[in-house]
Amino acid sequence: MVAPIPEKLTPELVFREYAPRIYNIARRMLGNDADAEDVTQDVLLQVVRKLDTFRGESQLSTWLHRVTVNAALAHRQKRANRQRHETGDLADDLMETTAPESAVKRWNISPEEPILAAEQQDVIEKAIAQLPEPFRDVYVLADVEGLPNAEIGEMLGLSVPAVKSRLHRARMRMRDLLAPHFEGELAS
Amino acid sequence: MNCSELMSLLVDFLGGELVQERRETVELHIRACPRCEVYVASYTQTVKVARALPKCGRLPATFEARLRQLLEPELKARQDD
Repeated sequence: MVAPIPEKLTPELVFREYAPRIYNIARRMLGNDADAEDVTQDVLLQVVRKLDTFRGESQLSTWLHRVTVNAALAHRQKRANRQRHETGDLADDLMETTAPESAVKRWNISPEEPILAAEQQDVIEKAIAQLPEPFRDVYVLADVEGLPNAEIGEMLGLSVPAVKSRLHRARMRMRDLLAPHFEGELAS
Repeated sequence: MNCSELMSLLVDFLGGELVQERRETVELHIRACPRCEVYVASYTQTVKVARALPKCGRLPATFEARLRQLLEPELKARQDD
C-alpha cells in the first residue's frame, strides 16, 4: 500500500516548484524554448495525474529527472525523424579528446564558488546549446544538474565509462567555448 | 605521465575516483607542467560555472499562463479530491 503523500506535495506546489525545473532541463537538452514547453507540458500532466503514488518530494524529484529526460529524448527523436541532421558519429568526430596544443590562459573568475552575472549565464547557456546533442545531454545532467554518472547511464542507456567519455569531451568543448569570455593572463 | 595521459584521467580526478597513488601522480604532473596546471584549472572552472547555473529560474510568463490554463482542470480536480 502506498503511504499517504505529505500535505505539502500539492498540485499547486508541484506546478510552482517543479515546472520551472522541468522546463530548464528540457530547454538545456533540446536547445530551444518551443520544444522545452512541449516537454514541460507533457511531464507536468504526468506528474499531476500520478501525484498520489509519490511518497514525498525526494522520490518525486528522482522520478521527475527520469521522466523529463525520457520525454526530451522522445521529443528529439520525433523531431529527428522529421528532419534528419545531426548524428552521434558526426558529433564524435567533432569532439576532441587530446591535450590542447595552443596556449592556454588563466580564467578571471572566482576559483571556488563562482557567482555568475546575467551576461555570463547567457554565455554559458549559449555554449551548452552548441554542444552536439549526445554530449549536451550528459553535460547537462552531470555538471548542471549534478546527477551521479551511474544514474545518467541508466537514463540514457549508456555504460558508466561511456558517460565519463562523453562528459570529458563535453567539458573540453565547453572549456574552449567559454575560454574567450573568461580568460585573462597567458600561462607561462 | 604525459599530458595526454593526464587528460584521459581528468573526469576521474575531479570526481575523486582515482586511487591515492594515481591521484598523486596526476597532482605531480600538474605541479610540474604549467600548461596542464592552467588547463586543469580552467577545466575545473568549466564544471563549477555549470553547477552555478540556476536550476529553477522562472517560466516565461506567457508559457506559465498557457500551461496553467491547460492544467487548470487537472489542478482543480486534484484540489477538490
